[in-house]
Amino acid sequence: MGEPETEAEMEQATTTGGNGEVDITLAPDVGDAGMAVMMAEMIRTNLKDKPDRVKDFNKLDGYVWITADDADTEMTMLFDGGSLKVYPGKVGYPMLQISTDSSTLLDLANIQIRFGLPYYFDEVGRMVLKKLLKGELKIKGMFAHNLALTHMTKVISVK
Amino acid sequence: MTLQYGTDEWEQEYQAVVAEKSKSPPPYIYFTPEWVALFEKAIRMDEIYKEAAKDWEGSVVLHVEPDPERGLEFDLYVFMDLWHGECRSVRIVPESAGLAGDFIISGSLDRWTQVGKRELDAVKGMMQGKLKLKGDLPTIVRAVRAAQRLTDISAEVGGKFPPDLPSDEIPEFRHINNELAERFLGIKAATPAV
Repeated sequence: MGEPETEAEMEQATTTGGNGEVDITLAPDVGDAGMAVMMAEMIRTNLKDKPDRVKDFNKLDGYVWITADDADTEMTMLFDGGSLKVYPGKVGYPMLQISTDSSTLLDLANIQIRFGLPYYFDEVGRMVLKKLLKGELKIKGMFAHNLALTHMTKVISVK
Repeated sequence: MTLQYGTDEWEQEYQAVVAEKSKSPPPYIYFTPEWVALFEKAIRMDEIYKEAAKDWEGSVVLHVEPDPERGLEFDLYVFMDLWHGECRSVRIVPESAGLAGDFIISGSLDRWTQVGKRELDAVKGMMQGKLKLKGDLPTIVRAVRAAQRLTDISAEVGGKFPPDLPSDEIPEFRHINNELAERFLGIKAATPAV
């Protein structure tokens, strides 16, 4: 089977069912939006490798917008209590809005999870905190939606 | 005559070509065997890469899409056999071997040239969809510093970029590629090597 071309094929390509896998779809207009495709694939593979984090995925409910300023690219993830749809650009009213450079986004995916919580006291964690304090990483909604941020960090963390 | 990849004969002949081409001093044209040999040497000597990749296991393949007008008539695969910070080998390999790599980063000759000139960061390129990555994403995200360092090294090696070649040098570049394709990659070039 080749690359998905139609909307139905695109949905089929990323929708999973059974086997403890999660339901992740790409919006049909995602096209070549690298970051959106990468994030969807990374979360799907990550949760397959770490099924204990599916409960965090299931608790997420709402829009999360992410932009990589240096790459001039943005995406929105719509979590809906056990499913995820990934859109290019900004969609809806995001509860979390993350703005940083592409390299820092991958740092976020490298945050350690210890005792079920993101760990900010190692090298990567300290670097992320430093960027947050310096304004190089902006997370709008991090206080109002603190739990959602924790769940999302666990979902995207490859550690 | 096409040599069988993976045999001692293939490796000996490949090394002979590298030795012959390396008699001329650098800069070499990107993605030629002599340039790839310099790249291999640079990875092996790079302490930053060794540290960043100390947990890395698996092969990384740089895939260059064809660009016939610039002298590259086939998909080119640069296969890097990497293991815990060690660079076992870097070779231009046949498609079947390239596609069997653990991680494949694909891009056009123009994109790779941008990476080589440091006009495009590889991670940024992937985020923008300018470079495509195939392989287990969580694994490569865990090793993102090592992956970035590899592309930095490719830029540090330097060389001549195929898109920048003057038009009178393109036939020579095409000839080099087609000779490589027929001898080592099992590809019958559209434009004969000789």
